Amino acid sequence: MKRFSQLAAPYVVWVALMILLPMLLILFYAFTDSGNGVVNFTFTLDHFIRFFTDHDFLLILWRSLVIAFKTTVICILLGYPIAYFIARSSDRVRNILVLVITLPTWINMLVRTYAWIGILTQGGLLSNILGFFGLGETELLYTESAVLIGMVYNFIPFMILQINTSLCKMDHSLLEASADLGANKVQTFWRVTFPLSLSGVISGIALVFLPAVSSFFIPKLLGGGQFFLIGNVIENQFITVGEWNFGSAISMIMAAIMMLCMYLIRRVDEHNSGGRKKRA
Amino acid sequence: MEGKVLIQFRNIVKDFDGQIVLKGINLDIYENEFVTLLGPSGCGKTTLLRILGGFIDANEGSIIFDGADIAKVPPHKRELNTVFQKYALFPHMSVYQNIAFGLKIKKMSKDVIEQKVMKMLKLIGLEGYEDKNVTLLSGGQQQRVAIARALVNEPKVLLLDEPLGALDLKLRKEMQYELKRIQQEVGITFIYVTHDQEEALTMSDKIVVMKDGEIQQAGTPQEIYNEPINRYVANFIGESNIIPGVMLEDYKVKFDDIVFDCVDRDFKPNEAVDVVIRPEDIDIVEVDQGKLSGEVLSVLFKGVHYEVMVETLPGTSVTVNMHVIRNQDVTSEDGKEKISANDFYVDIEDLKELDDKEIVARADAQAWNPESDEYISISKIEYDLKEELGEYPVTFSTAAGTSVQRRIFVVNQPFVKNERANEAVMAFNFFKTVDEITESVALDTDLKTWANAQGWKLSDEEQSVDISVDYDFDDENISEGIYQITFSTTGREFKIHTTDYVEEGKEVGLTFFPQDIHVMEKMEF
Amino acid sequence: MKKEKRIFGKVLMVLMIAFFYLPIVFMIVFSFNSGRSLTNFEGFSLTWYERMFNNRDMMESLYTTIIIASIATVVSTLLGTISAIGLSKSRKFLQKAILQLNDFPIMNPEIVTAIGLMLLFITFHVERGFWTMLLAHIAFCTPYVILSVMPKIRSLDPNLADAAMDLGATPWQALTKVLVPQIMPGIVSGALIAFTMSFDDFIISYFVTGGGVKNLSIMVYTMSRRVNPSINAISTLVVVLITIVLVIINVVPVIRERREKRHEKITG
Repeated sequence: MKRFSQLAAPYVVWVALMILLPMLLILFYAFTDSGNGVVNFTFTLDHFIRFFTDHDFLLILWRSLVIAFKTTVICILLGYPIAYFIARSSDRVRNILVLVITLPTWINMLVRTYAWIGILTQGGLLSNILGFFGLGETELLYTESAVLIGMVYNFIPFMILQINTSLCKMDHSLLEASADLGANKVQTFWRVTFPLSLSGVISGIALVFLPAVSSFFIPKLLGGGQFFLIGNVIENQFITVGEWNFGSAISMIMAAIMMLCMYLIRRVDEHNSGGRKKRA
Repeated sequence: MEGKVLIQFRNIVKDFDGQIVLKGINLDIYENEFVTLLGPSGCGKTTLLRILGGFIDANEGSIIFDGADIAKVPPHKRELNTVFQKYALFPHMSVYQNIAFGLKIKKMSKDVIEQKVMKMLKLIGLEGYEDKNVTLLSGGQQQRVAIARALVNEPKVLLLDEPLGALDLKLRKEMQYELKRIQQEVGITFIYVTHDQEEALTMSDKIVVMKDGEIQQAGTPQEIYNEPINRYVANFIGESNIIPGVMLEDYKVKFDDIVFDCVDRDFKPNEAVDVVIRPEDIDIVEVDQGKLSGEVLSVLFKGVHYEVMVETLPGTSVTVNMHVIRNQDVTSEDGKEKISANDFYVDIEDLKELDDKEIVARADAQAWNPESDEYISISKIEYDLKEELGEYPVTFSTAAGTSVQRRIFVVNQPFVKNERANEAVMAFNFFKTVDEITESVALDTDLKTWANAQGWKLSDEEQSVDISVDYDFDDENISEGIYQITFSTTGREFKIHTTDYVEEGKEVGLTFFPQDIHVMEKMEF
Repeated sequence: MKKEKRIFGKVLMVLMIAFFYLPIVFMIVFSFNSGRSLTNFEGFSLTWYERMFNNRDMMESLYTTIIIASIATVVSTLLGTISAIGLSKSRKFLQKAILQLNDFPIMNPEIVTAIGLMLLFITFHVERGFWTMLLAHIAFCTPYVILSVMPKIRSLDPNLADAAMDLGATPWQALTKVLVPQIMPGIVSGALIAFTMSFDDFIISYFVTGGGVKNLSIMVYTMSRRVNPSINAISTLVVVLITIVLVIINVVPVIRERREKRHEKITG
């Protein structure tokens, strides 16, 4: 029905204006000098050179990647068993558990992150619990661990839900086929279940790693001023310093590194999934 | 064929959440047998197979496999393998890896695995496909890989759960031969689940017909086809004419008031039975040479043969009067509304079911705007009906006040019973205008609706019987008056497969040999 | 062994639930604390709620959040649904290109979308405030609506609209009486996602706002540097609000179903 196709026209304009143009502007700002607006500008690579020659910036970028990596690994290690247990539950229990995991994600992230301050602070709930077990009163707030806890807390639901979906989607008869062919439960898990759930793990990684790298309010709230990540640098450039060109360049670098990471992970996945693999 | 008994099902009972799906199954399966579990979906055949495979546990009963009870043996330790309904090939593995799966689990050495897998690929005709991605194979190829993956483990029994269900017709036929060939080549027991009777007849050594969690009959394809144990099995396997009859004494059966010789015996005297005659066992002859005679109702060409329907007993019929009346639309004073309705008859027993909606429908009451032809809804219906025979006025009116008055005749309508054919029909006289008849798009259906014509089985009032309409007026040029319309059922019909053409409408005789009659016990419900 | 596994799983679930809900419960409890401390519960009081209601900044931010979320949900749901229907009938090339661009705000880190929009407003000298925030919210909510409506449209029989028009429906009737009811579940879940995305948003709002216009997240962010239990109070209020919305969403379909069942009974 050709008549209906005209309905998309407003959105075509909207997309060009509100999605495409902003992207192009970031590119434009990243490669130009802060002349006066769009009229007078000169092309430059200075912002990129500045970033890559400054030891501090590189350290912060490295730290952001490391903490995002740690977050992702913890999310997989904790999230996989949880997702597996949920997937193996009865339909009713599974629906309830999925709801239990989804519910907190409906509540404002800032609010949920803020709530951790009271738990992590000196003399707070966690240090009391740790103290009770004789682990000593440790102040966790404003340390890397606090940031890590905040990130895992915020992002692990996505990992669990992705893995759970891929486990639930799996045809149950594949597991029966495996048992039928002589594999016990452990063998079935490592040879069939786990390889087939990898796609869920990969999309879970995308949903955890990417926001973790660029996160800036979690380090700010739970890391205090001490724990500065690449997102905080971008925030600073835009909000406090007002160096939009440099800020744009940093965002571009960050986005490029993220894309590279995801590309590498996808490659590993493709390499591992059989069928395409030649037999040794 | 009778070798050693390999599997014994002993009184297997299974329920899911209180719903019983297997009601005590007893069955022996022999070595090297091709056994088919046949039945419609929900009959329990797949459940039985899954219990044997170890994927679900029976509530009661035991399975003796090769002399030992295997109830407690987990699936991965059972000496049988399964070809799953949708194959369940591992999508992350190649053809080779799929087939080698079971061998790798058994930790066989690489060269032994390679040797066995290659042999299997040859058996299923997929040499050169070992590195292919299984998800990219066609349905038939996936099917073969699934069979190879199971057979490579050298099981004593191969279970196949509707394996050809996902394939198209032509491929299915090919695979039927292929499966039979593979079974004969590897020489193990195949237990095959299907709802397709043709598949069962083609491949099996033994067919087990199941219904509602019970085995109806188990036997060779020939036994099942020629000597079905009851109406259900006869209907499920092949086409058949099934006629209720009475077994007078050994070798004498009576149906449709005629006594026939047969070869069956050991029934109680005068026991009610069902009689099966297969369509291909009946011959069409001259009227005076037939054991039965009737009129050819229809002839369908089916390629190899003609399918002829012959009516040997006339059906039940009832004739009613159609009063064709003059147009009696009422037009409102301002001319903006028209309303029409008809008198109608109603059976006194149906009076309780008569509500406003039903009255509007039966009277065919309508109101409309004559200029725009738009319908106006009937907003008010006034009537006063008593549960007595008689004539009652009814008034239909629109919101604007245009109204029309008609009559409802409450009558005690007798119905026509036909004990021999176990059916009854009933219809009512009715009133229609010339316009309504000439404007009708599907007159036969409309006539049935207008006359409220119904047919049903005497044994079960819920079961309706198709009725046909007969009249001899010209519906395009009808004028006012009274016309007769006959509603009738078809009587006893025989389906006959013959290679000789007969003309429709011809009177013919039907004949068959005593051994073509197969007498079965009545089914209990 | 099976039993052990069950127990392991159950312990795991309890720990998980504790991890997810402890901070929220903690926050709710301390919103009723009479003291300022976040570590010692000194007694029950509604002081912080009183302060919250008297704090103009907080109340305004709550108001802004709700207004923006409501308008953004309505606009993006309408825009998204209409566009998705239009796109499904567009040429394949255009459809593919637009859907690819549509994925950008979903796939990109939020901060990138945020600075992009900020640069857009800066470059064209649009004064940042309520309206820029609203526009930005519509911009990042609409893609989610399209994403949830599109699969529903794809699963429809492509001849459905034509069939309706063949039977005499006008294009408008075909759209509203045939297409829209069929894709309603997708529209509803799209609207739901839009609402919560907008309600929860911090990063994008933070970059595109100005003139002191704050939503709830920005307010929490700027106030969090000092201990202020009023934040607990307003957060508790948010939790209650969201819970109410969720209950309504989960209960309404049940009620509707019941009504339909009754309707069926009456007409059937």
